[in-house]
Amino acid sequence: MEADVVAFDCDDVSLTYSAKSGAPVEALQRVSLRINPRRVTAIIGPSGCGKSTLLLIIRGLLAPSAGRVRFVDAQSGAMASAKPRMATVWQGFNLFPWRTVGENVSFGLEVGGMTHSERAGRARRSLAQVDLSGFESKYPRQLSGGMRQRVGLARALVMEPEVLLLDEPFGALDAQTRLVLQEQLARLVEKSGTTAVLVTHSIEEAILLADTILVMTARPGRIAAEIRVDLPRPRTMATTHLNGYSSLFGQIYGLLRDEVVKAMATEMERA
Amino acid sequence: MLDERPSTSATVKRTTGSSVFNFIQKLGEPRVVGWIAVAFVLIMWEVVVVAAHLNPIYLPRPTHILIALLAMFKTGDLFSDLLATLGRIFGGFAVALITGTLLGIWMATSERVSAIADNFIAALYPLPKVTLIPLLIIWLGTGGPFMLTISALGAIFPIVINTVLGIRQCDSGLILAARDLGASNRQIISMVLLPSAVPSIFAGVRLGIGVSIILVVAAEMVVGKVGLGARLYLAGQVLETEQVFAVLIVLAILGVVVTKIQDLIDVWLNQWRLS
Repeated sequence: MEADVVAFDCDDVSLTYSAKSGAPVEALQRVSLRINPRRVTAIIGPSGCGKSTLLLIIRGLLAPSAGRVRFVDAQSGAMASAKPRMATVWQGFNLFPWRTVGENVSFGLEVGGMTHSERAGRARRSLAQVDLSGFESKYPRQLSGGMRQRVGLARALVMEPEVLLLDEPFGALDAQTRLVLQEQLARLVEKSGTTAVLVTHSIEEAILLADTILVMTARPGRIAAEIRVDLPRPRTMATTHLNGYSSLFGQIYGLLRDEVVKAMATEMERA
Repeated sequence: MLDERPSTSATVKRTTGSSVFNFIQKLGEPRVVGWIAVAFVLIMWEVVVVAAHLNPIYLPRPTHILIALLAMFKTGDLFSDLLATLGRIFGGFAVALITGTLLGIWMATSERVSAIADNFIAALYPLPKVTLIPLLIIWLGTGGPFMLTISALGAIFPIVINTVLGIRQCDSGLILAARDLGASNRQIISMVLLPSAVPSIFAGVRLGIGVSIILVVAAEMVVGKVGLGARLYLAGQVLETEQVFAVLIVLAILGVVVTKIQDLIDVWLNQWRLS
Protein backbone atom coordinates (compact mmCIF):
# COMPACT_ATOMS: atom_id res chain seq x y z
CA MET A 1 0.00 0.00 0.00
CA GLU A 2 2.71 2.45 1.00
CA ALA A 3 4.63 1.62 -2.16
CA ASP A 4 2.30 3.62 -4.33
CA VAL A 5 2.68 6.77 -2.25
CA VAL A 6 4.16 9.08 -4.80
CA ALA A 7 5.59 12.52 -4.28
CA PHE A 8 6.52 14.67 -7.15
CA ASP A 9 9.03 17.32 -7.91
CA CYS A 10 9.15 20.04 -10.49
CA ASP A 11 12.78 20.68 -11.38
CA ASP A 12 13.49 24.09 -12.89
CA VAL A 13 10.33 24.01 -14.97
CA SER A 14 10.18 26.88 -17.44
CA LEU A 15 7.69 27.66 -20.15
CA THR A 16 8.24 30.15 -22.92
CA TYR A 17 5.82 30.59 -25.78
CA SER A 18 5.66 33.03 -28.64
CA ALA A 19 2.91 35.62 -28.48
CA LYS A 20 0.88 36.59 -31.56
CA SER A 21 3.39 39.38 -32.23
CA GLY A 22 6.13 36.73 -32.38
CA ALA A 23 7.89 37.99 -29.27
CA PRO A 24 8.69 35.26 -26.75
CA VAL A 25 6.67 35.36 -23.53
CA GLU A 26 8.16 33.81 -20.44
CA ALA A 27 5.24 32.33 -18.53
CA LEU A 28 7.13 30.25 -15.98
CA GLN A 29 10.72 30.77 -14.89
CA ARG A 30 12.67 27.90 -13.31
CA VAL A 31 9.90 26.75 -11.02
CA SER A 32 11.05 24.11 -8.55
CA LEU A 33 8.70 22.66 -6.01
CA ARG A 34 7.88 19.46 -4.21
CA ILE A 35 4.39 18.12 -3.75
CA ASN A 36 4.19 15.87 -0.71
CA PRO A 37 1.99 12.77 -0.72
CA ARG A 38 -1.33 12.76 1.17
CA ARG A 39 -1.05 16.51 1.65
CA VAL A 40 -2.82 19.45 0.12
CA THR A 41 -0.54 21.96 -1.56
CA ALA A 42 -2.00 25.27 -2.63
CA ILE A 43 -0.42 27.41 -5.32
CA ILE A 44 -1.46 31.02 -4.99
CA GLY A 45 -0.46 33.97 -7.14
CA PRO A 46 -1.70 37.02 -9.03
CA SER A 47 -3.76 36.42 -12.17
CA GLY A 48 -1.70 35.59 -15.23
CA CYS A 49 1.26 34.31 -13.19
CA GLY A 50 1.11 30.92 -14.86
CA LYS A 51 -0.26 28.91 -11.95
CA SER A 52 -2.91 27.15 -14.06
CA THR A 53 -0.26 26.52 -16.71
CA LEU A 54 1.91 24.92 -14.07
CA LEU A 55 -0.97 22.61 -13.19
CA LEU A 56 -1.30 21.53 -16.85
CA ILE A 57 2.43 20.78 -16.91
CA ILE A 58 2.19 18.72 -13.71
CA ARG A 59 -0.74 16.83 -15.24
CA GLY A 60 1.27 16.16 -18.39
CA LEU A 61 -1.17 17.96 -20.67
CA LEU A 62 1.43 20.59 -21.58
CA ALA A 63 5.16 20.09 -22.14
CA PRO A 64 7.52 22.54 -20.40
CA SER A 65 10.14 24.33 -22.52
CA ALA A 66 12.77 23.34 -19.99
CA GLY A 67 12.95 21.33 -16.80
CA ARG A 68 10.87 18.31 -15.89
CA VAL A 69 8.33 16.84 -13.53
CA ARG A 70 9.54 13.74 -11.67
CA PHE A 71 7.42 11.29 -9.77
CA VAL A 72 9.30 9.68 -6.93
CA ASP A 73 8.62 7.08 -4.30
CA ALA A 74 7.99 9.00 -1.09
CA GLN A 75 10.08 6.60 1.02
CA SER A 76 13.07 5.63 -1.10
CA GLY A 77 13.23 8.77 -3.21
CA ALA A 78 13.72 6.56 -6.29
CA MET A 79 11.88 7.33 -9.52
CA ALA A 80 8.37 5.94 -9.37
CA SER A 81 7.71 3.06 -11.75
CA ALA A 82 4.50 4.60 -13.02
CA LYS A 83 2.77 7.95 -13.00
CA PRO A 84 0.17 8.25 -10.28
CA ARG A 85 -3.51 8.31 -11.24
CA MET A 86 -4.45 11.97 -11.56
CA ALA A 87 -7.71 13.79 -12.12
CA THR A 88 -8.47 17.49 -12.51
CA VAL A 89 -11.32 19.74 -11.44
CA TRP A 90 -11.55 22.78 -13.73
CA GLN A 91 -12.47 26.38 -13.11
CA GLY A 92 -14.86 26.38 -16.08
CA PHE A 93 -16.33 22.98 -14.99
CA ASN A 94 -15.74 21.62 -18.54
CA LEU A 95 -18.72 19.29 -18.32
CA PHE A 96 -19.86 17.68 -21.57
CA PRO A 97 -23.18 19.43 -22.22
CA TRP A 98 -24.62 16.59 -24.34
CA ARG A 99 -24.03 14.03 -21.61
CA THR A 100 -26.21 13.62 -18.54
CA VAL A 101 -24.71 14.14 -15.10
CA GLY A 102 -24.29 10.38 -14.71
CA GLU A 103 -22.66 10.08 -18.14
CA ASN A 104 -20.34 12.98 -17.36
CA VAL A 105 -19.20 11.38 -14.14
CA SER A 106 -18.60 8.02 -15.79
CA PHE A 107 -16.75 9.45 -18.83
CA GLY A 108 -13.32 8.49 -17.50
CA LEU A 109 -14.52 4.99 -16.65
CA GLU A 110 -16.09 4.62 -20.10
CA VAL A 111 -12.90 5.53 -21.97
CA GLY A 112 -11.10 3.12 -19.64
CA GLY A 113 -13.33 0.32 -20.94
CA MET A 114 -15.47 -0.36 -17.87
CA THR A 115 -18.84 -2.04 -18.42
CA HIS A 116 -21.98 0.04 -18.41
CA SER A 117 -23.48 -1.37 -15.22
CA GLU A 118 -20.26 -1.14 -13.23
CA ARG A 119 -19.62 2.48 -14.16
CA ALA A 120 -23.23 3.47 -13.46
CA GLY A 121 -22.84 2.11 -9.92
CA ARG A 122 -19.56 3.93 -9.38
CA ALA A 123 -20.96 7.17 -10.78
CA ARG A 124 -23.90 6.91 -8.41
CA ARG A 125 -21.62 6.42 -5.39
CA SER A 126 -19.41 9.29 -6.47
CA LEU A 127 -22.39 11.62 -6.90
CA ALA A 128 -23.60 10.62 -3.44
CA GLN A 129 -20.24 11.82 -2.05
CA VAL A 130 -20.97 15.32 -3.31
CA ASP A 131 -24.65 15.20 -2.24
CA LEU A 132 -26.01 14.93 -5.78
CA SER A 133 -27.84 11.61 -5.52
CA GLY A 134 -30.78 11.42 -7.90
CA PHE A 135 -29.37 13.92 -10.41
CA GLU A 136 -27.88 11.23 -12.69
CA SER A 137 -30.24 11.83 -15.60
CA LYS A 138 -30.20 15.64 -15.53
CA TYR A 139 -28.20 17.62 -18.06
CA PRO A 140 -25.52 20.10 -16.88
CA ARG A 141 -27.53 23.07 -18.16
CA GLN A 142 -30.34 22.14 -15.75
CA LEU A 143 -28.02 22.63 -12.77
CA SER A 144 -26.75 25.71 -10.94
CA GLY A 145 -23.06 26.64 -11.06
CA GLY A 146 -22.36 25.14 -7.66
CA MET A 147 -24.06 21.88 -8.61
CA ARG A 148 -22.14 21.76 -11.90
CA GLN A 149 -18.85 22.03 -10.07
CA ARG A 150 -19.90 19.28 -7.67
CA VAL A 151 -20.47 17.13 -10.78
CA GLY A 152 -16.96 18.14 -11.88
CA LEU A 153 -15.64 17.05 -8.50
CA ALA A 154 -17.54 13.74 -8.64
CA ARG A 155 -16.18 13.14 -12.15
CA ALA A 156 -12.63 13.51 -10.79
CA LEU A 157 -13.22 11.52 -7.58
CA VAL A 158 -14.75 8.57 -9.44
CA MET A 159 -11.31 8.00 -11.00
CA GLU A 160 -9.98 7.33 -7.46
CA PRO A 161 -7.07 9.67 -8.14
CA GLU A 162 -3.86 9.43 -6.14
CA VAL A 163 -3.36 13.06 -7.02
CA LEU A 164 -6.29 15.44 -7.27
CA LEU A 165 -5.61 18.63 -9.22
CA LEU A 166 -7.89 21.58 -8.53
CA ASP A 167 -7.64 24.50 -10.95
CA GLU A 168 -9.42 27.42 -9.27
CA PRO A 169 -12.34 25.07 -8.70
CA PHE A 170 -14.62 27.70 -7.19
CA GLY A 171 -13.42 30.68 -9.20
CA ALA A 172 -16.57 30.84 -11.30
CA LEU A 173 -18.98 30.61 -8.37
CA ASP A 174 -20.67 33.22 -6.22
CA ALA A 175 -19.19 33.95 -2.79
CA GLN A 176 -21.78 32.07 -0.74
CA THR A 177 -21.76 28.90 -2.83
CA ARG A 178 -18.02 29.09 -2.67
CA LEU A 179 -17.93 29.02 1.14
CA VAL A 180 -20.13 25.96 1.35
CA LEU A 181 -18.21 24.08 -1.32
CA GLN A 182 -14.85 24.94 0.27
CA GLU A 183 -15.96 23.28 3.50
CA GLN A 184 -17.35 20.30 1.60
CA LEU A 185 -14.12 19.90 -0.38
CA ALA A 186 -12.02 20.22 2.79
CA ARG A 187 -14.02 17.34 4.33
CA LEU A 188 -13.75 15.17 1.22
CA VAL A 189 -10.00 15.67 0.85
CA GLU A 190 -9.38 15.02 4.57
CA LYS A 191 -11.43 11.83 4.39
CA SER A 192 -9.87 10.44 1.22
CA GLY A 193 -6.29 11.25 2.26
CA THR A 194 -5.41 11.92 -1.36
CA THR A 195 -2.61 14.16 -2.52
CA ALA A 196 -4.08 17.41 -3.80
CA VAL A 197 -2.75 20.43 -5.62
CA LEU A 198 -4.99 23.48 -5.45
CA VAL A 199 -4.47 26.46 -7.71
CA THR A 200 -6.31 29.50 -6.40
CA HIS A 201 -6.22 33.26 -6.11
CA SER A 202 -8.14 33.18 -2.83
CA ILE A 203 -5.99 33.41 0.31
CA GLU A 204 -8.90 32.21 2.41
CA GLU A 205 -9.40 29.14 0.23
CA ALA A 206 -5.71 28.31 0.36
CA ILE A 207 -5.60 28.50 4.17
CA LEU A 208 -8.83 26.52 4.63
CA LEU A 209 -7.70 23.67 2.42
CA ALA A 210 -3.92 23.47 2.30
CA ASP A 211 -1.10 22.03 4.39
CA THR A 212 1.46 23.98 2.37
CA ILE A 213 0.96 27.19 0.45
CA LEU A 214 3.31 28.14 -2.39
CA VAL A 215 3.19 31.83 -3.27
CA MET A 216 4.01 32.68 -6.86
CA THR A 217 5.32 35.92 -8.30
CA ALA A 218 3.80 37.91 -11.16
CA ARG A 219 4.84 36.82 -14.65
CA PRO A 220 7.26 35.27 -15.25
CA GLY A 221 5.99 33.03 -12.49
CA ARG A 222 8.44 31.83 -9.86
CA ILE A 223 7.90 30.38 -6.40
CA ALA A 224 8.41 33.29 -3.99
CA ALA A 225 7.70 31.54 -0.69
CA GLU A 226 6.59 28.28 0.85
CA ILE A 227 4.33 28.60 3.87
CA ARG A 228 3.22 25.78 6.16
CA VAL A 229 -0.32 25.84 7.51
CA ASP A 230 -0.53 24.17 10.91
CA LEU A 231 -4.09 25.12 11.78
CA PRO A 232 -6.13 22.27 13.27
CA ARG A 233 -8.45 20.18 11.10
CA PRO A 234 -11.27 19.90 10.30
CA ARG A 235 -11.17 23.47 9.10
CA THR A 236 -14.43 25.32 8.72
CA MET A 237 -15.49 28.94 8.67
CA ALA A 238 -14.77 28.94 12.41
CA THR A 239 -11.09 28.52 11.53
CA THR A 240 -11.09 32.03 10.12
CA HIS A 241 -11.58 33.40 13.65
CA LEU A 242 -8.36 31.82 14.99
CA ASN A 243 -5.37 34.02 15.65
CA GLY A 244 -3.16 31.75 13.56
CA TYR A 245 -5.50 32.31 10.63
CA SER A 246 -5.26 36.09 10.62
CA SER A 247 -1.49 36.16 10.98
CA LEU A 248 -1.17 33.68 8.07
CA PHE A 249 -3.59 35.73 6.01
CA GLY A 250 -1.56 38.88 6.71
CA GLN A 251 1.70 37.16 5.84
CA ILE A 252 0.40 35.85 2.51
CA TYR A 253 -1.32 39.09 1.64
CA GLY A 254 1.93 40.94 2.28
CA LEU A 255 3.73 38.64 -0.14
CA LEU A 256 1.02 38.82 -2.76
CA ARG A 257 0.24 42.49 -2.66
CA ASP A 258 3.40 43.68 -4.40
CA GLU A 259 3.06 40.91 -7.00
CA VAL A 260 -0.53 41.82 -7.75
CA VAL A 261 0.46 45.46 -8.20
CA LYS A 262 3.25 44.33 -10.54
CA ALA A 263 0.83 42.14 -12.52
CA MET A 264 -1.62 45.03 -12.85
CA ALA A 265 1.15 47.32 -14.10
CA THR A 266 2.16 44.77 -16.79
CA GLU A 267 -1.45 44.42 -17.87
CA MET A 268 -1.79 48.18 -18.21
CA GLU A 269 1.38 48.36 -20.28
CA ARG A 270 -0.01 45.76 -22.65
CA ALA A 271 -3.39 47.45 -22.95
CA MET B 1 -72.41 31.88 0.59
CA LEU B 2 -74.96 34.55 -0.14
CA ASP B 3 -72.76 36.14 -2.66
CA GLU B 4 -72.30 32.95 -4.59
CA ARG B 5 -75.46 32.83 -6.70
CA PRO B 6 -75.28 36.23 -8.37
CA SER B 7 -71.61 35.81 -9.06
CA THR B 8 -72.19 32.38 -10.70
CA SER B 9 -74.84 33.69 -13.08
CA ALA B 10 -72.59 36.56 -13.97
CA THR B 11 -69.80 34.11 -14.81
CA VAL B 12 -72.10 32.04 -17.05
CA LYS B 13 -73.24 35.14 -18.91
CA ARG B 14 -69.68 36.22 -19.38
CA THR B 15 -68.60 32.86 -20.82
CA THR B 16 -71.44 32.69 -23.38
CA GLY B 17 -70.74 36.25 -24.34
CA SER B 18 -67.01 35.65 -24.66
CA SER B 19 -67.25 32.44 -26.75
CA VAL B 20 -68.63 34.40 -29.70
CA PHE B 21 -66.15 37.11 -28.99
CA ASN B 22 -63.35 34.50 -28.79
CA PHE B 23 -64.35 33.11 -32.18
CA ILE B 24 -64.15 36.53 -33.80
CA GLN B 25 -60.90 37.21 -32.03
CA LYS B 26 -59.48 33.90 -33.29
CA LEU B 27 -60.32 34.90 -36.86
CA GLY B 28 -57.98 37.82 -36.39
CA GLU B 29 -55.02 35.70 -35.27
CA PRO B 30 -52.12 35.80 -37.76
CA ARG B 31 -52.09 32.01 -38.24
CA VAL B 32 -55.80 31.89 -39.00
CA VAL B 33 -55.57 34.92 -41.28
CA GLY B 34 -52.86 33.08 -43.21
CA TRP B 35 -55.08 30.05 -43.81
CA ILE B 36 -58.08 32.18 -44.68
CA ALA B 37 -55.94 33.87 -47.34
CA VAL B 38 -55.03 30.47 -48.82
CA ALA B 39 -58.68 29.42 -48.92
CA PHE B 40 -59.65 32.75 -50.49
CA VAL B 41 -57.08 32.41 -53.29
CA LEU B 42 -58.19 28.83 -54.04
CA ILE B 43 -61.86 29.84 -54.19
CA MET B 44 -61.11 32.87 -56.38
CA TRP B 45 -59.00 30.65 -58.65
CA GLU B 46 -61.87 28.20 -59.03
CA VAL B 47 -64.40 30.98 -59.64
CA VAL B 48 -62.26 32.84 -62.18
CA VAL B 49 -61.43 29.68 -64.17
CA VAL B 50 -65.12 28.67 -64.35
CA ALA B 51 -66.43 32.18 -65.02
CA ALA B 52 -63.86 33.07 -67.69
CA HIS B 53 -64.00 29.62 -69.39
CA LEU B 54 -60.20 29.36 -69.22
CA ASN B 55 -58.64 26.47 -71.11
CA PRO B 56 -57.65 23.85 -68.48
CA ILE B 57 -54.42 23.27 -70.45
CA TYR B 58 -53.29 26.67 -69.19
CA LEU B 59 -54.97 26.78 -65.82
CA PRO B 60 -57.02 23.86 -64.51
CA ARG B 61 -59.53 24.22 -61.67
CA PRO B 62 -58.19 23.46 -58.14
CA THR B 63 -60.92 20.84 -57.66
CA HIS B 64 -59.87 19.08 -60.86
CA ILE B 65 -56.23 19.17 -59.74
CA LEU B 66 -57.28 17.50 -56.52
CA ILE B 67 -59.24 14.86 -58.42
CA ALA B 68 -56.22 14.24 -60.69
CA LEU B 69 -53.97 13.98 -57.65
CA LEU B 70 -56.23 11.39 -55.98
CA ALA B 71 -56.55 9.45 -59.24
CA MET B 72 -52.77 9.32 -59.64
CA PHE B 73 -52.39 8.00 -56.12
CA LYS B 74 -55.16 5.45 -56.69
CA THR B 75 -53.30 3.80 -59.59
CA GLY B 76 -50.22 3.66 -57.39
CA ASP B 77 -48.06 5.38 -60.01
CA LEU B 78 -47.53 8.58 -58.07
CA PHE B 79 -46.77 6.65 -54.91
CA SER B 80 -44.06 4.60 -56.61
CA ASP B 81 -42.67 7.80 -58.15
CA LEU B 82 -42.58 9.39 -54.71
CA LEU B 83 -40.80 6.35 -53.27
CA ALA B 84 -38.23 6.37 -56.08
CA THR B 85 -37.50 10.07 -55.58
CA LEU B 86 -37.31 9.75 -51.79
CA GLY B 87 -34.98 6.77 -52.14
CA ARG B 88 -32.64 8.74 -54.40
CA ILE B 89 -32.67 11.85 -52.21
CA PHE B 90 -32.11 10.07 -48.91
CA GLY B 91 -29.82 7.39 -50.34
CA GLY B 92 -27.47 10.01 -51.73
CA PHE B 93 -27.92 12.14 -48.67
CA ALA B 94 -26.89 9.24 -46.40
CA VAL B 95 -23.73 8.76 -48.47
CA ALA B 96 -23.03 12.50 -48.21
CA LEU B 97 -23.64 12.54 -44.46
CA ILE B 98 -21.23 9.68 -43.76
CA THR B 99 -18.46 10.66 -46.18
CA GLY B 100 -18.92 14.38 -45.51
CA THR B 101 -18.68 14.00 -41.75
CA LEU B 102 -15.64 11.72 -41.99
CA LEU B 103 -13.90 14.07 -44.41
CA GLY B 104 -14.79 17.02 -42.19
CA ILE B 105 -13.31 15.33 -39.11
CA TRP B 106 -10.18 14.46 -41.06
CA MET B 107 -9.83 18.03 -42.32
CA ALA B 108 -10.43 19.56 -38.90
CA THR B 109 -7.83 17.36 -37.21
CA SER B 110 -5.10 17.50 -39.86
CA GLU B 111 -3.79 20.73 -41.30
CA ARG B 112 -2.32 18.91 -44.29
CA VAL B 113 -5.56 17.21 -45.25
CA SER B 114 -7.31 20.52 -44.75
CA ALA B 115 -4.86 22.31 -47.07
CA ILE B 116 -5.34 19.67 -49.77
CA ALA B 117 -9.13 19.54 -49.54
CA ASP B 118 -9.60 23.30 -49.25
CA ASN B 119 -8.60 24.00 -52.85
CA PHE B 120 -10.89 21.35 -54.28
CA ILE B 121 -13.80 22.51 -52.17
CA ALA B 122 -13.16 26.14 -53.12
CA ALA B 123 -13.38 25.14 -56.79
CA LEU B 124 -16.38 22.81 -56.56
CA TYR B 125 -18.55 24.45 -53.89
CA PRO B 126 -19.63 27.56 -55.84
CA LEU B 127 -20.19 25.55 -59.02
CA PRO B 128 -23.92 25.04 -59.67
CA LYS B 129 -24.20 21.27 -59.26
CA VAL B 130 -26.82 20.92 -62.04
CA THR B 131 -24.05 21.72 -64.50
CA LEU B 132 -22.42 18.43 -63.52
CA ILE B 133 -25.39 16.39 -64.77
CA PRO B 134 -24.10 15.96 -68.39
CA LEU B 135 -20.64 14.89 -67.24
CA LEU B 136 -22.00 12.49 -64.65
CA ILE B 137 -24.29 10.91 -67.27
CA ILE B 138 -21.26 10.33 -69.52
CA TRP B 139 -19.40 8.71 -66.63
CA LEU B 140 -22.15 6.84 -64.82
CA GLY B 141 -25.07 6.45 -67.22
CA THR B 142 -28.54 7.35 -66.07
CA GLY B 143 -29.25 4.63 -63.52
CA GLY B 144 -29.06 4.36 -59.75
CA PRO B 145 -25.36 5.24 -59.34
CA PHE B 146 -25.89 8.49 -61.24
CA MET B 147 -28.89 9.47 -59.13
CA LEU B 148 -27.10 8.66 -55.85
CA THR B 149 -24.02 10.62 -56.95
CA ILE B 150 -25.92 13.74 -57.95
CA SER B 151 -27.91 13.66 -54.71
CA ALA B 152 -24.76 13.14 -52.61
CA LEU B 153 -22.96 15.95 -54.45
CA GLY B 154 -25.72 18.34 -53.48
CA ALA B 155 -25.49 17.61 -49.77
CA ILE B 156 -21.81 16.90 -49.19
CA PHE B 157 -20.32 20.40 -49.39
CA PRO B 158 -22.39 22.10 -46.69
CA ILE B 159 -21.93 19.01 -44.49
CA VAL B 160 -18.13 18.99 -44.85
CA ILE B 161 -17.81 22.73 -44.30
CA ASN B 162 -20.07 22.74 -41.26
CA THR B 163 -18.39 19.68 -39.74
CA VAL B 164 -14.99 21.39 -39.98
CA LEU B 165 -16.48 24.56 -38.49
CA GLY B 166 -18.21 22.70 -35.65
CA ILE B 167 -15.11 20.74 -34.68
CA ARG B 168 -12.84 23.79 -34.79
CA GLN B 169 -15.26 25.64 -32.50
CA CYS B 170 -15.16 22.88 -29.89
CA ASP B 171 -14.38 24.27 -26.43
CA SER B 172 -10.71 23.44 -25.79
CA GLY B 173 -11.57 22.97 -22.11
CA LEU B 174 -13.66 19.93 -23.01
CA ILE B 175 -10.73 18.40 -24.90
CA LEU B 176 -8.44 19.01 -21.90
CA ALA B 177 -11.03 17.46 -19.57
CA ALA B 178 -11.32 14.38 -21.80
CA ARG B 179 -7.55 14.02 -22.02
CA ASP B 180 -7.31 14.40 -18.24
CA LEU B 181 -9.81 11.57 -17.83
CA GLY B 182 -7.67 9.31 -19.99
CA ALA B 183 -9.32 9.54 -23.41
CA SER B 184 -7.20 8.59 -26.44
CA ASN B 185 -7.11 10.77 -29.56
CA ARG B 186 -9.61 8.49 -31.24
CA GLN B 187 -11.93 8.65 -28.22
CA ILE B 188 -11.64 12.42 -28.14
CA ILE B 189 -12.77 12.55 -31.76
CA SER B 190 -15.74 10.24 -31.31
CA MET B 191 -16.77 11.23 -27.78
CA VAL B 192 -15.97 14.96 -27.67
CA LEU B 193 -15.31 16.59 -31.04
CA LEU B 194 -18.06 14.84 -32.96
CA PRO B 195 -20.88 15.30 -30.42
CA SER B 196 -19.92 18.93 -29.86
CA ALA B 197 -20.07 19.50 -33.63
CA VAL B 198 -23.51 17.88 -34.04
CA PRO B 199 -25.52 21.14 -34.02
CA SER B 200 -23.20 22.62 -36.65
CA ILE B 201 -23.27 19.43 -38.74
CA PHE B 202 -27.03 19.53 -38.58
CA ALA B 203 -27.03 23.10 -39.90
CA GLY B 204 -25.08 21.69 -42.86
CA VAL B 205 -27.60 18.88 -43.22
CA ARG B 206 -30.41 21.46 -43.45
CA LEU B 207 -28.68 23.25 -46.30
CA GLY B 208 -27.56 20.04 -47.99
CA ILE B 209 -30.86 18.21 -48.09
CA GLY B 210 -32.52 21.15 -49.85
CA VAL B 211 -29.88 21.04 -52.59
CA SER B 212 -30.25 17.23 -52.85
CA ILE B 213 -34.00 17.56 -53.44
CA ILE B 214 -33.45 20.13 -56.21
CA LEU B 215 -30.75 18.07 -57.90
CA VAL B 216 -32.60 14.75 -57.81
CA VAL B 217 -35.81 16.26 -59.24
CA ALA B 218 -33.82 18.11 -61.90
CA ALA B 219 -31.91 14.96 -62.84
CA GLU B 220 -35.16 13.00 -63.04
CA MET B 221 -36.60 15.63 -65.37
CA VAL B 222 -33.61 15.23 -67.68
CA VAL B 223 -33.14 11.46 -67.75
CA GLY B 224 -35.55 9.75 -65.35
CA LYS B 225 -38.10 7.13 -66.29
CA VAL B 226 -39.60 7.00 -62.80
CA GLY B 227 -39.64 9.57 -60.03
CA LEU B 228 -41.52 12.79 -59.39
CA GLY B 229 -39.28 14.81 -61.71
CA ALA B 230 -39.84 12.35 -64.56
CA ARG B 231 -43.59 12.32 -63.92
CA LEU B 232 -43.65 16.12 -63.90
CA TYR B 233 -41.75 16.43 -67.15
CA LEU B 234 -43.85 13.75 -68.87
CA ALA B 235 -47.11 15.38 -67.78
CA GLY B 236 -45.86 18.71 -69.15
CA GLN B 237 -44.91 17.13 -72.48
CA VAL B 238 -48.41 15.76 -73.06
CA LEU B 239 -50.08 18.93 -71.71
CA GLU B 240 -51.65 17.15 -68.71
CA THR B 241 -51.59 20.40 -66.74
CA GLU B 242 -53.70 18.97 -63.91
CA GLN B 243 -51.06 16.28 -63.36
CA VAL B 244 -48.29 18.90 -63.49
CA PHE B 245 -49.99 20.75 -60.65
CA ALA B 246 -50.60 17.50 -58.77
CA VAL B 247 -46.88 16.64 -58.83
CA LEU B 248 -46.00 20.19 -57.75
CA ILE B 249 -48.32 19.78 -54.76
CA VAL B 250 -46.59 16.52 -53.80
CA LEU B 251 -43.19 18.22 -54.07
CA ALA B 252 -44.36 21.16 -51.98
CA ILE B 253 -45.69 18.82 -49.28
CA LEU B 254 -42.42 16.89 -49.36
CA GLY B 255 -40.55 20.14 -48.72
CA VAL B 256 -42.83 21.08 -45.83
CA VAL B 257 -42.54 17.63 -44.22
CA VAL B 258 -38.72 17.66 -44.49
CA THR B 259 -38.59 21.15 -42.94
CA LYS B 260 -40.90 20.14 -40.08
CA ILE B 261 -38.81 17.05 -39.32
CA GLN B 262 -35.69 19.22 -39.26
CA ASP B 263 -37.39 21.62 -36.84
CA LEU B 264 -38.18 18.70 -34.52
CA ILE B 265 -34.57 17.49 -34.66
CA ASP B 266 -33.43 21.03 -33.87
CA VAL B 267 -35.61 21.14 -30.76
CA TRP B 268 -34.23 17.77 -29.70
CA LEU B 269 -30.62 18.93 -30.24
CA ASN B 270 -31.26 22.09 -28.26
CA GLN B 271 -32.29 20.24 -25.13
CA TRP B 272 -28.74 19.85 -23.86
CA ARG B 273 -27.21 22.97 -25.37
CA LEU B 274 -25.80 25.16 -22.60
CA SER B 275 -27.52 28.46 -22.17
